[in-house]
Amino acid sequence: MTDRKQRQAAGLSEAEAIERAKQGDAEAFEYLYSLHKRRVYSLCLRMTSNAAEAEDLTQEAFLQLFRKIATFRGESAFSTWLHRMAVNVVLMQLRKKGLPVVPLEDTIESDEETPKKELGTTDVKLAGSVDRLQLQRAIEKLPPGYRTIFVLHDVEGYEHNEIAEIVGCSIGNSKSQLHKARLKLRDFLKFKRAEKAGKP
Amino acid sequence: MTCAELQQVLPELIEGEREAELQAHLQSCSECAELVSDLRAIAEQGRTLRASEEPAPHVWQFIETQLRREGLIHDPGTERPFLLRTPTRRWSPAIWFVPVAAALLLSVAFLLRPKPQSTVATRRPVSDTPSAFSTPEPSADADDSALLEAVQKRSPAMTAAYSDNLRKVNNYISDAQKSLQQNPNDDDAKQYLMQAYEQKTMLYDMALDRALP
Repeated sequence: MTDRKQRQAAGLSEAEAIERAKQGDAEAFEYLYSLHKRRVYSLCLRMTSNAAEAEDLTQEAFLQLFRKIATFRGESAFSTWLHRMAVNVVLMQLRKKGLPVVPLEDTIESDEETPKKELGTTDVKLAGSVDRLQLQRAIEKLPPGYRTIFVLHDVEGYEHNEIAEIVGCSIGNSKSQLHKARLKLRDFLKFKRAEKAGKP
Repeated sequence: MTCAELQQVLPELIEGEREAELQAHLQSCSECAELVSDLRAIAEQGRTLRASEEPAPHVWQFIETQLRREGLIHDPGTERPFLLRTPTRRWSPAIWFVPVAAALLLSVAFLLRPKPQSTVATRRPVSDTPSAFSTPEPSADADDSALLEAVQKRSPAMTAAYSDNLRKVNNYISDAQKSLQQNPNDDDAKQYLMQAYEQKTMLYDMALDRALP
């Protein structure tokens, strides 16, 4: 945004920008984009681990948003509405790639996912130390459903009630999926650490 | 609380609920303590992954170009005509239909400019077909009445047909406008409104052609 636009935008609240955007105001659209671009891009980037793809998905999410902005009635927070679109855009892209995207409600508890068995079964310890780059790589390996919840909560800072609204699950489900995501990440990180240490 | 019990409720406990209960177990169980410590470290490190990068400038440029192409945005100070003040402007043909219809209405008004012995807006028709003309539909405006008066004077036999068609097209316009008021994004309603204005323009066209000496 130009300095002039930034100065103008500084006096503009999000609600005002939304109303102006509904009337087709170009500067209002740009203001809304500048407010939310980083979070949407971050979400897309963490989900795809590819900058070019993340940019394409960011474009698509904002285009969908702006095309439908006239229908926004303020029943949910604007950012929640936007991120719901972004998550749907990302998940649709992952489906196109052939990655299984299981709806969170359909996730079934299985012995394989039960965390108990992992407790104390390996000598490798994280000892509270998590390498940032390794974590990034581990996130890439998470199934899309777990990845979505982890990125939304731990990376982007959404609360469970917001996540529930964004992805369309219950709060309990969101907490459960987040816990499983973290357990899986722990397993990946321990495995990587063991690999590095030359252990089998 | 046993380790298995802790595992069951850990998704809730690790979010900060029942912290005292959690701590009580962790103090006595190094394995659970290690698990909780690892999970919290993962969550904490996750926070640092929030992208500090922004999308490249071309992302917004693409979005803006696309939105302009779709007619969804305009620059401040370039207000759209009130009929087009809707989120989407896909029915862009209406842009020129409306001024054409307005031009035709002005033409009618010019042709029907006040004569010394009567005023168009208030003169009651002396038609022998009161049912076709003397009680125009509520939605017909003064210009419609003026048009029908002109038709009545020039081609009385056509008055009923024009009156009926005007009534229908005005109802058509009214229905489409109501739909659009309820749902500004109703593309069908926009299309119907555009077609209705088109039809009304054609009616005026025909009426003026027939009315010309």
